[in-house]
Amino acid sequence: MIKKIIICLVLVATFSSCLTVKEYEKVNINDPDMKLSALKIKKFETNFQVYREGASGANGGKTGGGCGCN
Amino acid sequence: MEEKQEVAVVVINMKNYLTLLVLFLTILAYSQNSSTYTKRVLETAEVDFLMSYYSQEGDHASVTGGIGNEKLTDITPTFIVAIPLNANDVLTVDAGISAYSSASSSNLNPFDSSGASNGEDDDDEDDDKAPNPNAVSGSPWVESSGASAQDVWGAINLSYSHSSEDRNNIVSANVGFATEYDYTSIGFGGGYTRLFNEKNSEVGIKAQVYLDTWSPKYPTELDSYQEANQNLNNGFFEDVDILNQEGEIIDKNGPNVWSPFNNTLIKDKARNSYSVSFSFSQILTKTTQFSLFFDFVQQSGWLANPMQRVYFSDRDNYYIGNAESIPVYTSKDNTDVFQLADDIERLPDTRFKIPVGVRLNQYINENIAIRTYYRYYTDDWGMKSHTASIELPIKFSLGKFTLYPNYRFYNQTASDYFAPFESHLSSSDYYTSDYDLSKFNSHQYGLGFKYTDIFAKVKVFKFGLKSFDLRYSYYDRSDGLQASIVSAGVKFVMD
Repeated sequence: MIKKIIICLVLVATFSSCLTVKEYEKVNINDPDMKLSALKIKKFETNFQVYREGASGANGGKTGGGCGCN
Repeated sequence: MEEKQEVAVVVINMKNYLTLLVLFLTILAYSQNSSTYTKRVLETAEVDFLMSYYSQEGDHASVTGGIGNEKLTDITPTFIVAIPLNANDVLTVDAGISAYSSASSSNLNPFDSSGASNGEDDDDEDDDKAPNPNAVSGSPWVESSGASAQDVWGAINLSYSHSSEDRNNIVSANVGFATEYDYTSIGFGGGYTRLFNEKNSEVGIKAQVYLDTWSPKYPTELDSYQEANQNLNNGFFEDVDILNQEGEIIDKNGPNVWSPFNNTLIKDKARNSYSVSFSFSQILTKTTQFSLFFDFVQQSGWLANPMQRVYFSDRDNYYIGNAESIPVYTSKDNTDVFQLADDIERLPDTRFKIPVGVRLNQYINENIAIRTYYRYYTDDWGMKSHTASIELPIKFSLGKFTLYPNYRFYNQTASDYFAPFESHLSSSDYYTSDYDLSKFNSHQYGLGFKYTDIFAKVKVFKFGLKSFDLRYSYYDRSDGLQASIVSAGVKFVMD
């Protein structure tokens, strides 16, 4: 697992040195449907998945705790 | 005449100078303004009203040991208010309830529907005595009528965020409280986000703590047994016939009688969760960006659910109800006999989870984008899982309407402690028959619809309608559980 995390960190460092997109070029990136978070309306789906599935987290939703869920 | 002409030339020159001066001052003022102007993090207060209706059907109710009716419906009205405190600070209040009715939970006391609670004190407490003990029956396939059949979960969460003037640093904090029938939770946390590389890159760290407490509710026969001082001639069991596997009434004073495997129920009412989340986001091109999430979650305390029964294969079976239904106990034909539990679910008092997620979004053109997500999950209960989802927002009418067809695949391996109904051995330290911890895969298909009015022309008091969302998803799990969820939301912005 540690190896995988290190590989991810190296990838992250590599990506961050990619070309820079200027503020005025971000019109498409700033589209509301391009947001890098789950849509607000999906919070209920994420909630029931936390109850009905063993895995949770890494999606901006619950990671466990706050409910008698998995 | 020449004097007049000279005066006119001087006036014209002065006018030019004045014009130039005004122009210069305007440019200077504008340039000063533009160098100090910072866009507010949130221009105006926003209010979201959200609501969902969820329903599920399945045959693996965990309260009755992994078999039985797990029909459940849930309605969750919620509102989220975001208030700009100033140009840099935003306060968000998220409050909601979740009102559910559950066939599985109702069978915490499966004997209610037969009148075991005397039809008056229908509170799932174990001070009840059957008015007609010989008529007492229940079934994992039949919904009971006790208080545990429905519950309301309520929660409120306050979060505050502060952005630096250059918007490259964001600090946040949150505190929340949640309560339901058998559970309360206090949560708090904080986070820090740093943007760099001309806001093309973003790293974040977030810590969250939940200090939760069980108000444990137990399967009625286990609780009654302790309340009756472990005497089957007392309390609820007095005058109620207990049957063996052959359907014969047992001698409660004899050597072969039902008794719970464990006389100690819940030992620790606390259930705490500590998580640290790391995130990294990167704009790759003018149309592509991705983010990476790592969570490290440590849970401790009573991680099992005290409502959930377990039946061992190496212990004799005992029943209350109709002896003729014992041979068909695990089928839906059984409507009037209930097997007494061997124990409640028992699980380790710690659990360490590591989910890693990646999200990649691609803008195709002004009408279509692709949103993708993948997550790998592992924990020290032996569970591993993969989640993958894709969503295709399709815009119509210059972005006024958007459709969201989507699909999600999920699979997981079983927890080390899972076994189906009547499959566990009593020699195990830990055991559960909760199918949420079993091996399965699931498919979720959905369609969303969004109406957006960027000018918020439709008004309700001082608020303009910004958007309306409607979403439906169908969930199909390989163990037979099927669920549907409809979500709706409206967003208002203050004028």
